[in-house]
Amino acid sequence: MRLLKAMLALQASEGAVTDAALRDLARREGVPLYRLEGLRSFYPVFRKHPGKAMQVEVCRDLVCCMAADGDPVRQVREALADRDDVDVRAVSCLGQCDRAPAAMVDHRPVTGPADGIRACLSGEQMAPESGTLPSGRWATDPYKAAEQYYTTVHALLTESEPDAVIRALKDAGLRGLGGAAFPTGMKWDFTRRAPGGEKYVICNADESEPGTFKDRVILEDLPHLVIEGMLIGAWVIGARRGIIYLRHEYGAARKALETAIAEAYQRGILGEAAFGPGRGFDLEVFVSPGGYIMGEETALLEALEDRRGEPRNKPPFPTDAGLHGKPTLINNVETFAAVPAICGRGADWWAAQGLGDHKGLKFVSVSGDVERPGVHCVPWGTTARQVLELCGGLVGSQPLKAFSPGGASTSFLPPEKLDTPLDFDAMQGAGSALGTGAMVFVAGHRDLLDVTLAQLRFFRNESCGKCVPCRVGSHKAVEMVEQVQRGERAGPGIALEALHRTLARTSICGLGQVALLPLVEALRTFPDEPSLQPLRGEE
Amino acid sequence: MATEHVSLTIDGRSVSVPAGASIWDAAARLGIHIPVLCHDPRLRPVGVCRLCVVDTGERTLAAACVRPCQDGMEVRTDSEEVEAHRRMLLELLLSEQPDRSAREETTGDDALYALARRYGIREILLPDGGEGTPRGRDASSPVIDVDHQACILCDRCVRGCDEIQHNDVITRTGKGYGTRIAFDLDVSMAESTCVSCGECVAVCPTGALTHKAVRGLRLEEGA
Repeated sequence: MRLLKAMLALQASEGAVTDAALRDLARREGVPLYRLEGLRSFYPVFRKHPGKAMQVEVCRDLVCCMAADGDPVRQVREALADRDDVDVRAVSCLGQCDRAPAAMVDHRPVTGPADGIRACLSGEQMAPESGTLPSGRWATDPYKAAEQYYTTVHALLTESEPDAVIRALKDAGLRGLGGAAFPTGMKWDFTRRAPGGEKYVICNADESEPGTFKDRVILEDLPHLVIEGMLIGAWVIGARRGIIYLRHEYGAARKALETAIAEAYQRGILGEAAFGPGRGFDLEVFVSPGGYIMGEETALLEALEDRRGEPRNKPPFPTDAGLHGKPTLINNVETFAAVPAICGRGADWWAAQGLGDHKGLKFVSVSGDVERPGVHCVPWGTTARQVLELCGGLVGSQPLKAFSPGGASTSFLPPEKLDTPLDFDAMQGAGSALGTGAMVFVAGHRDLLDVTLAQLRFFRNESCGKCVPCRVGSHKAVEMVEQVQRGERAGPGIALEALHRTLARTSICGLGQVALLPLVEALRTFPDEPSLQPLRGEE
Repeated sequence: MATEHVSLTIDGRSVSVPAGASIWDAAARLGIHIPVLCHDPRLRPVGVCRLCVVDTGERTLAAACVRPCQDGMEVRTDSEEVEAHRRMLLELLLSEQPDRSAREETTGDDALYALARRYGIREILLPDGGEGTPRGRDASSPVIDVDHQACILCDRCVRGCDEIQHNDVITRTGKGYGTRIAFDLDVSMAESTCVSCGECVAVCPTGALTHKAVRGLRLEEGA
């Protein structure tokens, strides 16, 4: 963390991490130049040279393209053509899909993009601040007032034991809510039993998949639950140190977290006697230097160890060999935030929140062609149709063409599947996956080729480049589709399927494994979609 | 203390190896040579070219060079599926290559070309990424010629420079498809702290890093 923190500080103060600054840093830290170049060139936050006075970053991904009815980056460039004091850059999903089309002006989120950015540049509009919502609005928050925060972990410390917490998580049926759905109780159990005196607990707050913004809302509204979930995790596995790995675009979430952490230190909840005399726990926020791949847990660990954020070959898994080779518990924001309610109110209470056989509560991010995009906390087992209704249905009561139940890495489903309940297994049975619960609804007038190509481009843009199938394969797939669009290639459907099979089976991490999935699956799921016809057929 | 051993089968044949040994090493012990480009027994394995993938019955294939053997493992190194993926990976790499390999034309040991011959690959249907050699060349060093277009980012030069010679010059710069190797803070090889030891040329499997002398170029010829 030392090198990246130093480089982040340089970028913040100087607007760049120049060669001169890196030579100086290399001397001071005793590291070779090549290592700093590897970092500077890998992470999108860093600039080699200072840019213009104003920095505008425009989201280029699916939901923003839909909201802009075209290329939002081009629209902003055209609108700001007269401003030679402004740098406009295309960036990947900003986690502001509920405010699409989204952009950042000097690191503050704006909407609109062209109009909003003009208003922001002239000082008329400011960034939407985090909503300070009345406590208790979210059903996963067991507390009515701030004085009650952390009473669950304190009750556990005096009245319970770590194995009981693991049992409760297993009974509650809690599974990783960052998309991978690994049983949480089992993960905690592995990390608790892994040999080693020094252990870490890390919160993965790096959600970056197009359509996903639920963690942003949880971090802004319920930071104390995330902290308490981490405290309970640390106590269960025996960790003395925790890190919240936060994406740099979430300024309001950072403020909320840092305020909540400072308060917890003040109250002695965190610090040298967190678990009793001589049994301390320290927690800090690490702001990511950027990139979707950092949400892959071993890429995240590489970043924390001051290397290029390239996923590791597994095994070993972080539960055995994580940060600095020590057993490390890594969970998503929503997963940690669910723990206080499960421990405080009981696994039975949690299970009863679900509908029918389904257990618990789930935050979903809803965006696309819906009347009111946003985050909702719903019982597991709620159907996709009910979620759509919560958001006011489709804009202008249009017909639905397709919906993505879980984010860019999950296949689009046709309207016939709207009654599928939110559930990992049920969504898989319907031919897709629940992923992060990022539901994107697509109205009838859209071309599914545009929609699925946007997802493919996202993965191509965010590939770390470490392994051949993902680095070269995702690029070739985009090129093949673009050649079809230019009329230079006849249907590469079969070639794309073969390429997808290789990426799915040989890529090091999940990014390459799913990069072509939405496009290739759409060819199967939507046989009559006109926009996809040119992709079909023999080469 | 006796070394702990694990027993497994590779392509139906039993083998016992010290715990921690890779599948690639265990296969070599049986005389099974699993194709690979990024691995060299002198180097720490990184598992990035993915050509050595094998089927262990899991959701995804494992890179044999980095995957430790486990007791009771049943490994297939040459199934139809595995060979189809290797062929696709080779086609991906070949579609990015320049028209000629400086290594193949001189010392004749371009490992990518050798695998292409072994797999009988003649025609590539993927879009051509090598045309016009967009990745460029760095001929600044008096000794070593760098052809970025022929580089497959196997990381062997990086490890050779840093871990065998401890010269600490080479890195990967950039990200994703745009990644390439670079020297120091991405300066030309001549301007860098490179001491021309030649280790990178020795470990490079393609025409990316070659000796100018071997290629019949005059040593003092720069830029």
